[in-house]
Amino acid sequence: MKSYFLSDQNLTAFVEGLMSKYPVIAPVAKRSRFVFDTLVDVSELRLDYDTTILPPKKVFFPAKQDLIHFDKDGFTSAIDPKEQVLLGAHPHDIKGIAMSDIFYSDRQYDNNYMANRKATIIIGCSVQNHYKHAFFGTMNANRPLTGHDLFMTKIEGGYAVDALSEKGEALIALGTFTDAGDAQVAAATEVNKKAEENCPEKLNGTAEEIREKVRSSFDSPVWEECAEKCFSCGSCNIVCCTCYCFDVQDEWNVDGASGTRFRLWDACLTTEFSEVTSPGGSENFREERAERYRHRFMRKAAYLNEQLGGPACTGCGRCSGACTADIANPATVINKILEQ
Amino acid sequence: MSCTCNDNNESIFMPQVAEILDAQMITSTEKHFKLKLQNGERFDYEPGQIVEAGIFGYGEVPLGLASSPTNGDSFELVVRVMGKVTKAMASLEKGDTMTIRGPLGNGFPVDEFKGQDVLIVAGGIGLCPVRSMIEYILHHRDDFGKFTLFFGAKTPSDLLFEEDLEAWRCDSCMQYMDTVDTPDSAWKGNVGVITTLFEHTKEITAETRVIICGPPIMYKFVISELDKMGVSRANIYVDLERRMKCGVGKCGHCQINDKYVCMDGPVFRYSDIETLEEAI
Ligand code: SF4
Ligand code: SF4
Ligand code: FES
Repeated sequence: MKSYFLSDQNLTAFVEGLMSKYPVIAPVAKRSRFVFDTLVDVSELRLDYDTTILPPKKVFFPAKQDLIHFDKDGFTSAIDPKEQVLLGAHPHDIKGIAMSDIFYSDRQYDNNYMANRKATIIIGCSVQNHYKHAFFGTMNANRPLTGHDLFMTKIEGGYAVDALSEKGEALIALGTFTDAGDAQVAAATEVNKKAEENCPEKLNGTAEEIREKVRSSFDSPVWEECAEKCFSCGSCNIVCCTCYCFDVQDEWNVDGASGTRFRLWDACLTTEFSEVTSPGGSENFREERAERYRHRFMRKAAYLNEQLGGPACTGCGRCSGACTADIANPATVINKILEQ
Repeated sequence: MSCTCNDNNESIFMPQVAEILDAQMITSTEKHFKLKLQNGERFDYEPGQIVEAGIFGYGEVPLGLASSPTNGDSFELVVRVMGKVTKAMASLEKGDTMTIRGPLGNGFPVDEFKGQDVLIVAGGIGLCPVRSMIEYILHHRDDFGKFTLFFGAKTPSDLLFEEDLEAWRCDSCMQYMDTVDTPDSAWKGNVGVITTLFEHTKEITAETRVIICGPPIMYKFVISELDKMGVSRANIYVDLERRMKCGVGKCGHCQINDKYVCMDGPVFRYSDIETLEEAI
């Protein structure tokens, strides 16, 4: 790994350099919040964002993704990756992407996701402002940060930039960088450490404590209590960077002879998620909203731990902000279980 | 139809095309298809495995293979006509095509059944997936010990595979017993839930290997009977149904704890999942 310094004055030219070679998807303001969107003008870039409404998974796994195109003569795979740059992913979001990479490559290798993933250069950036619900300093904080190509930390006068892969190293030629001095490297380490320490919310247990306690609370009344106000809307799933479930549907084009099979983000909190039709009605394997609510927490804290080597949550806090009933916050719920 | 796969970026969603050799409604709601792959290759699978069967423009449905892989190049599926996809399938006839993805998941561990007495307990449409094992046993009859089959249906008109049932009734190689919840005037057989059949047989011992497939409510009652008879839970296999969209362990719909029914099942050794909440 090599460390560089990019001055504030040289940021614009670097990003324009990126934009001249690739579509660049980065945080931009949208009303009072931020979203990841393709940069049209470098002035839109907001590396000081707190969080985005949707996580960067949409860059590889769009909310609606074509899988197969069909017509009367046959069908073809819709996999068609385009080289692109994801700029400005926060460390916890990079961890979320690394988890999705495991979900989509483990056991059955899903190129509909992985081809897009491999075609995307990821440039991370340090957290300059905290989202009010964030708790990434105490959730998966020790999980190694991997899978990205460059990482930019905001320090005095500019950015300390770590080149973490060959692809990342190649981008350095697109801007005016100098070698980072020891003091700049040390300053960057301190900035990232402070960002974790200053998270507004905190989780109290280790990954192992969380797994054990949450798993053994399966029959606890806590789920019923917490889920009482749940609307089964699924917003907590949709905004989550480690939720990856989907529905598959077909649609016809207007010609009525050709069409597309696509997948859509789906949410295990919704009523129909585990429902099958049966004679004279339906069978729902998680009929009660408390069962669905519990399933989400079990998945985050216990079910996927073995596959991921830790909880399936990054502490981004998006779910807390998205939940109208204010009951989706993993820090609150898990802390409550840990206290029992 | 032909498949133009993207070789470098192979997709787990790309199906194969199968031609319908025969299609029959076998009850008022079930259609029985006999198929073979259009590319001429043999479709190889284990009894108990599943496929995603589909029609472009409508979608896919998960189905258990309803015939034994020892049946040559063809394979069979039974579709319960219920929703959008299966309604579209109901209109397919001999010579039409549908798409097939699979075989998916784990079937019955045939070797563990060899040399053993076998009991298969099937409720309703649960007979379709276990028919792959029934046929397999009948094709390799000498490899297995005593073979008992229980089949329960709601009414006599819900009995599937009438010809098979007739043949099984007369087959001295197996003991076939059925029951209905609600008889009609012509019904002369057993009436009552499927567990009432246990009283009528002496063939089941603590060593019998058991397969259960039926409506969700059925499993625990059958297992409690088997417990009484001293059958080890390690010798009981359950074939589970769940909502499935992808069939390849990605979409999350079939998840039970850390297991995916489409990948780790649909056949599970009962002792492996008995402590998993939401499984049975
Ligand atoms: S927990 Fe909140 S966001 Fe999630 S489904 Fe319930 S109401 Fe919606
Ligand atoms: S569960 Fe909530 S805090 Fe955790 S990764 Fe998902 S959205 Fe972020
Ligand atoms: S059917 Fe999609 S994960 Fe099993």
